Amino acid sequence: MSGLRITEAHRGLRQPSRREMAATLALSALGLALPAALTGPALAQAPDRVVVAGGVITEVIYALGLQDRIVGVDSTSQFPSEALKDKANIGYVRALSAEGVLSLKPSLIMLIDGAGPPDAVSLLNESGVKIAHIRDGLTPEGVTTKIAAIGAAIGAAAPAERLAAQTKARFDELATLRSGLAKKKRILFLLSLQNGRAMVGGRNSSADGIIALAGGINVADGIEGYKPMTDEAIAAAAPEMVLMMRNSSAHNITPEELFAMPAFSQIPAAASKRLVHMDGLYLLGFGPRTPMAARDLMAAIYPEAAIPPLKTAAAP
Amino acid sequence: MSDANPILSGHGVGFLAGGRKLVAEANLELLGGSTTILIGPNGAGKSTLLKLLTGEIKPAGGEIRIAGEPLAAVPAWRLACLRSVMAQHARLAFPFSVYEVASLGVDGIGRALTRQRREAIVAESLAAAGVIDFAGRRYQTLSGGEQQRVQFARVLCQLEAGRSVAERQVLFLDEPIASLDLCHQLALLDMARAIAARGVAVLIVLHDLNLAVTYADHLIVMDQGQIIAQGPPAKTLDDALLRQVFKVDLTLSRAPAPGLPFLLPQQHRARPAA
Amino acid sequence: MTLAAPSPTMATATLTTLIASRRRAGLLAIAGLALACLLLTIVAIGQGAIAIAPGRVAEILMARLTGDTSLLEGRDVLVVLNIRLPRVLLGLLVGAGLAVSGALMQGLFRNPLADPGLVGVSSGAALAAAATIVLGDRFLAGTMMKLPFAALPAGAFCGGLISTLALYLIATRGGRTSVATMLLAGVALGALASALTGLLAFWSDDRQLRDLTFWSLGSLGGASWTKLTVVAPIILPLLLLMPLLARGLNGLMLGEAEAYHLGIPVQRIKALAILLVALAVGASVATAGLIGFVGIVVPHLIRLSVGPDHRLLLPLSALGGAMLLVGADIVARLIVVPAELPIGIVTATIGAPFFLWLLLRRTSLIDV
Repeated sequence: MSGLRITEAHRGLRQPSRREMAATLALSALGLALPAALTGPALAQAPDRVVVAGGVITEVIYALGLQDRIVGVDSTSQFPSEALKDKANIGYVRALSAEGVLSLKPSLIMLIDGAGPPDAVSLLNESGVKIAHIRDGLTPEGVTTKIAAIGAAIGAAAPAERLAAQTKARFDELATLRSGLAKKKRILFLLSLQNGRAMVGGRNSSADGIIALAGGINVADGIEGYKPMTDEAIAAAAPEMVLMMRNSSAHNITPEELFAMPAFSQIPAAASKRLVHMDGLYLLGFGPRTPMAARDLMAAIYPEAAIPPLKTAAAP
Repeated sequence: MSDANPILSGHGVGFLAGGRKLVAEANLELLGGSTTILIGPNGAGKSTLLKLLTGEIKPAGGEIRIAGEPLAAVPAWRLACLRSVMAQHARLAFPFSVYEVASLGVDGIGRALTRQRREAIVAESLAAAGVIDFAGRRYQTLSGGEQQRVQFARVLCQLEAGRSVAERQVLFLDEPIASLDLCHQLALLDMARAIAARGVAVLIVLHDLNLAVTYADHLIVMDQGQIIAQGPPAKTLDDALLRQVFKVDLTLSRAPAPGLPFLLPQQHRARPAA
Repeated sequence: MTLAAPSPTMATATLTTLIASRRRAGLLAIAGLALACLLLTIVAIGQGAIAIAPGRVAEILMARLTGDTSLLEGRDVLVVLNIRLPRVLLGLLVGAGLAVSGALMQGLFRNPLADPGLVGVSSGAALAAAATIVLGDRFLAGTMMKLPFAALPAGAFCGGLISTLALYLIATRGGRTSVATMLLAGVALGALASALTGLLAFWSDDRQLRDLTFWSLGSLGGASWTKLTVVAPIILPLLLLMPLLARGLNGLMLGEAEAYHLGIPVQRIKALAILLVALAVGASVATAGLIGFVGIVVPHLIRLSVGPDHRLLLPLSALGGAMLLVGADIVARLIVVPAELPIGIVTATIGAPFFLWLLLRRTSLIDV
């Protein structure tokens, strides 16, 4: 049924190639996670006033070249940087204002998993405006489904399918590179280090996802989500590399500073002072750039393996 | 005129705190029309006894009766019609005006009265206490003595408001003249006796022996929780008591040596005959 | 025989005039503030991120009252009737409830620094909210259930009541509640609740921490008709029963012993005041999060203007608090459109400087 929906939307656009049709059907089969909340029949006309709550959704729409349709984004829509500069800011994704969103006269509201608060969401539901809930998948399948769902909601199913297919190809290439790795290294993702409290990315966190994609082992997988980790646990976990998000404005902790701290001085990473900073949204956004981000991370983890850039990434 | 039936009576009244007997086996009667004055050194238990008699604290032993009923059985609102209490210190947390403080006396129990009557009571009491010119001022801006007189006015208001409900009343004054000038001291005590003359039983706690003797119909001397002596002033005080209770080696009713002036309130002629 | 100066009758007449003029001023203040509150309410319903013409707003409200559905079409109907109206009404209720609670606490503790939190409601509610946010999903992790939306407000309300009950039991011996004990025990319980809340924050993940932060900054955004129908019967008793407490609180100003001597049922007043405050503040915190400043500042402002007589202070505080919160909400909704500021920030930002200015102008604000 979803395949049918997407084909209908192709009317008026160029005929899809056989390869793209196959990819479409395959993705539709995988599209069990396609939003059940997508109300109404096929969109006869693409929504042109879209309010977005969810950074990755903004990123995908920009990647599809359809940013002119966006009238408002949330504060987590930090890539590309024009998004927050050019569009109205509706606030933090989990602290939205119903009337504020409605004041932008949206024809479509796109909400990532966990957008809130629940009262605002239920008011938006009551308003009758079309709402698309997008699952925030943290795996390659999740990413491609996400891209397809976003495209379908915004009436650009074909370009989105293309982008999804491209992204899948990149993930496949990444998997090949991954299979070529000899021994997997132990990685610790450090979300923040405030007042000596180390917040790490555990099991099922986005950091866990990207580490796995980059062919590393997440040493914090005994913890669920982003949680604090004690100094001893860090020492016991013995990571060979520490990964952090790069802070654009504030000071980024240097390897000297980090490995001077007692918790980090005893770990294997301290010997080679392996501390890597990467842009947060690039690394953890789980959008179209993720295969490249995972590749960059893999290159950083295994410098000796000389990981090449993704060939498929160069393709349009 | 003294009424033979006591309005308030206490038998075997006692109170314990921290193992110590603050008041032990007190027996006393307050008669309508009579002014009773309670004296004694610091720590004698005067304030505690007053608190027992006003109902503020419950006695450990003994019984107190007011207007024929056991004190413990009288609900607070009815008690407020029967007796009025002026405390030693009155701290006010917020900036009330003088007439508002006085009105507190009528606001509770005077609800049945008309507004005009209530305002009249407040005005009369303020005038009687000599503070009506301050009526609109904030209480905190007054001196200590003026504030005491405002409290006295409040107590008068309460008594007056309660009179419509209760015929037999008691007035308690705990060191009411501590911050007052001599003329105001005498005037306040005169007023207390005038109230007694209306049939109210008046109990005053005083420190000044001379004033106590001048104004008391009935004197009660306390020391270390016990009532040592009570009766008409002339019969109650003697040199031995002074030495034992007040620890002073002075002789009663002896004129001092010439050279130093002395001023005794006993000569104050304004006080009406008992 | 009196201690007075001559011509007391003249002074009596002056006094009667004085009392009458003060009473008139008080009634005028109530009428004036009530009118201002009504006007502000109307403005608040008419204002918002979406521009709706005042005529249309009035039309929608009238149509709703008369049941004329023909005019009730369009998105602006949803905005006026389901977003703005419940929000403004909640703001009125919570604002009035918090301000009167503050006045009651200041009266009960005989201290101008008292605020509604002293009965332990706010810290207990905050702890319960933190527990719901951080532990709630974990509790249900094994099952397929998601935490119902009502869990957070219900949990916060219960937490507030339990906390107040604990405080009350600690402070009450032999049928007598010691406010001094309550104050100290409240400090201790508050510190404990803070510590536990901090522990929960420490063990929370990033998303939960954000949720907790936003919750604690306060917001009227959660208003809905459902919530209103639950919360109104909890807050209204405070506003309806406060005249019963007014006289007693006046007398309490002299001290508890004096109040007893005046015939005031001191224990009953304390218990009733604590109960009503716990209910009103608990419900407020549960639906709107932590909103500071209203409970302390509004009673002070009213006291500065019309004096400390609770018969005026309580109703005027209710009106003043309602106005402050509704006004702050207008600002919160408009200042960063299309986003929205947490209202606790606005009340503090408006309230604190104004209060300081007032303190600097008037030398004797509080006489302790």
